[in-house]
Amino acid sequence: MSIEILTLLFFGSLLFFLILGLPLAFVLGGVSVVFLYFTWGFDSFYMVASQIWGTMGSFTLVAIPLFVFMAMILERTGVANDLYRMMYMWWGGVRGGLAIGTLFICAIFAAMCGISGAAVVAMGTIALPSMLERGYDKNMALGCINTGGGWGILIPPSILMILYALITGVSVGQMFAAGVLPGILLMVLTIAYIIIRCYFQPHLAPALPIEERASWPEKFRALRAVILPILIVVMVLGSIIGGLTTPTEAAAVGVLGSLISALVYRKFSWALINDAAIRTFKLTGMIMWILFAAHAFSAAYQSMGAQQLIEGFVQMIPGGPWGIILSMMLITFLLAMVLDPVGIMLITLPVFMPIVESLGFDPIWFGILFVINMEIGYMTPPFGFNLFYLKGVVPPSITMKDIYMSIIPFVIVEIIGLALIMIFPQIATYLPELFF
Amino acid sequence: MHALTAFMNGVTRLNNFIGRWVAWLVAVMFVLLLLEVGFRYLLNAPTVWTNELTQMLFGVYAILSGGYILAHRGHVNVDLLYSHFGRRTQAGLDIVTSIVFFIFTLALLYFGIDMAQESIGNLETTYSAWNPPIWPIKATIPLGAGLLVLQGLVKLLQDIAIAFNLSYYNPDAGQSAGDPL
Amino acid sequence: PAVAQESFTWKVQSHWPGSSSSYEDSLVRLKNILEERTDGRLKLTLYESGALFKPQETFNAVSRGILEMGTISPAYAQDKISLAGIASGLPFAFRNVWEAAYFHQNLGFEQMLRDEAAEHGVYWATDKVYPTEMVVKNPINSWEDFTRLKIRSSGTLQKFLTEAGAAASYIPGGELYTALDSGVVDGAHWGAAQGASSMGLYEVAKYHVQPGLNIAGTDAIIVSQKALDKLPEDMQLIVKQALDEQFWVRTNEYLYKERITLAKAIAEDGVQINTLPDDVQERLVKTAQSMWDEEGKRSENAQKALDMLKSYLTDLGYL
Ligand code: NA
Ligand code: NA
Repeated sequence: MSIEILTLLFFGSLLFFLILGLPLAFVLGGVSVVFLYFTWGFDSFYMVASQIWGTMGSFTLVAIPLFVFMAMILERTGVANDLYRMMYMWWGGVRGGLAIGTLFICAIFAAMCGISGAAVVAMGTIALPSMLERGYDKNMALGCINTGGGWGILIPPSILMILYALITGVSVGQMFAAGVLPGILLMVLTIAYIIIRCYFQPHLAPALPIEERASWPEKFRALRAVILPILIVVMVLGSIIGGLTTPTEAAAVGVLGSLISALVYRKFSWALINDAAIRTFKLTGMIMWILFAAHAFSAAYQSMGAQQLIEGFVQMIPGGPWGIILSMMLITFLLAMVLDPVGIMLITLPVFMPIVESLGFDPIWFGILFVINMEIGYMTPPFGFNLFYLKGVVPPSITMKDIYMSIIPFVIVEIIGLALIMIFPQIATYLPELFF
Repeated sequence: MHALTAFMNGVTRLNNFIGRWVAWLVAVMFVLLLLEVGFRYLLNAPTVWTNELTQMLFGVYAILSGGYILAHRGHVNVDLLYSHFGRRTQAGLDIVTSIVFFIFTLALLYFGIDMAQESIGNLETTYSAWNPPIWPIKATIPLGAGLLVLQGLVKLLQDIAIAFNLSYYNPDAGQSAGDPL
Repeated sequence: PAVAQESFTWKVQSHWPGSSSSYEDSLVRLKNILEERTDGRLKLTLYESGALFKPQETFNAVSRGILEMGTISPAYAQDKISLAGIASGLPFAFRNVWEAAYFHQNLGFEQMLRDEAAEHGVYWATDKVYPTEMVVKNPINSWEDFTRLKIRSSGTLQKFLTEAGAAASYIPGGELYTALDSGVVDGAHWGAAQGASSMGLYEVAKYHVQPGLNIAGTDAIIVSQKALDKLPEDMQLIVKQALDEQFWVRTNEYLYKERITLAKAIAEDGVQINTLPDDVQERLVKTAQSMWDEEGKRSENAQKALDMLKSYLTDLGYL
């Protein structure tokens, strides 16, 4: 059977069983096993177990439960709530102020952490209830957390960039430097979108009525709420930049910070820690089982000849160098809807990179475009880790459909950012050229 | 019917028991990583074992979570269409799709046992500088898969009861479900 | 003649990422040569590191016949191959690459490896022998400089560096650059010059330490015996001969590329070669030799290989 037909059947059955409501991890795993049986035989199921074993041994993933644990403790101690109360006092007069504040916190998270997801969980736990309580529109709140949560792989440090550098042979330092301005650009664009949208539709993110706004003394008193969060950020970022810890170890420093906060707030108790640990376990385990199956799924797809399919596609592309770049973006965008980023990188980059370089494009610049595409992939349905993280923490009243719908404008904003970086490559290449 | 109910409750209790303890591994990982930072930075004496032990515990933590999370309905699904159906239709659909669930989990169980047996047979170690035995960690793959298969059976029995209005399981009594995630 | 026309496609799982020079120079080279010499009857489909199986799992997959071919580091097969520890390099044993090559091919170590692998249904062929060398942020000019070091290491060398008195810790490849950059560690080894260059380590660590920590057959090509047996005899011969040739071609070519890469790093990144002072080298050799005996305890075979190695090194005047 040709790889084209296999691809249709493979992803067709994925979508079919997803729609029928079987949890994602089991759809990915089950469909992989069935297709492996027909394309490679019974013995190849060993690959599924082996992929799971490999994923269990991935040290950088340890940051996930730790950052989630930190967020859960912060939420239960009331630190998070105070932070949002403070933000509302100061930003209450601005429509969409809390959403903008949330995006800032996401950017800080992104600088602390090399993976996506931690920020989604933290903000889904902390920011979402705060925004909903204050009358924010569901889609606005969900969408901004989804999009901000993805910046972790664009703003350095970034595990995905290191992987890109490993596969393509570009410099890690240059990739990191290249991610900074595009990260800021996306933040500015997203904030601009929120301000403009809320200017015309104030009900989406209402400002505090003037008579309810806090007085200046109240505002300054509320500032105390930022001391502990800032302390945690300084501890985590400081330990990475100061050469004290690797980004993964820094997650443990974050937990330490949250425990200190719990003591300061006099909320520390074994019941609180136990509760935070249980919630962390459920969330991390849910993501890990998806990851287990997703790795098996992309390995199965690769064994069927995914790379030959991409090679075939690329040869058919008309339209000169820019036509090729745009088609590559489209291919990664589509793949990112249904596959995990690591799998996409392994399938596409070996085919793309020689072409990109032979056309005279800067591989660093292409890498940034690629990473932004992966970031978009984190929030495009049906398969996107940010979506699943968020689903794991939201109240039951919010459905997967709500989460799917919420991302549409934010994906468009990211695509605009992507287009700007394509048109003005300097946004990505300026800093690396300055520093290296 | 009594035996069925007892089986279902037993499995769920087992997964709950294991889950509540395994959840605490996050605290252990936290302590280990901080220890390593302390050893390396304050004493200039990084250990050979903390990071590796953390990684091993993380693997156990992740693989043993499957059954517990299923008991608490914590595995994320896409509810676009699904949420519009009534409870009996949902149960019926779940019975059908459970084939895919069992294909995956049983394949994992079978090859997990295979993998673990080989590892236990060699008393496999990691051959790192620390070189601890790795076979107990590999053995958690079939254990985790087994717990998931068992909880999947419970879920299947529940769905059959709901779909066909059988008396051995009463979904409203909450006897086998945990608190929602 | 009907059988001779039958064609075969092998899945080949690499342990090198695509950007590693060895992916192109070793694997793609082998693929082209085999396709050419068999008139296209044997095709290889190459998979980058981790695509189907993680490096640590590739030996098992080849042994079970799920994969027809793969590449590994001997260290990944230590639970099966008792000689793997010696194959992946005893610290400070050989001083020149040709010595290691002679040990493998002329003294029979390669055949010993092949015999052990055969017990697991695997045909073993060392891809090349080459040195493993460190890069550090600050030069090592004294024993104190060495013991102050925090080094990213792994496996036997981590144990060696720790016993020698440095602080060696394991950091996964994905975090190595960041860790070296921020100073979590002050040194690391990732292959030698080409490895360090591919990981971008010269951007953040400017001293390339020589001599190497070891010289060894750190890359191996493994073929499933089951898959090999399915080929007609002429093709089996082609595969085996191509693998034998590969060792010499790659060992020599790799040395050449090491020098080119290092020269480029010196010219473009301002890298300097840091030759370890004699007293540091002597103390390292002493620690190393006390560790070798551990490897001999793995099995009778390992003891035999170790004895052979020691008498060889004595002949060379090193012991
Ligand atoms: Na980041
Ligand atoms: Na997606």
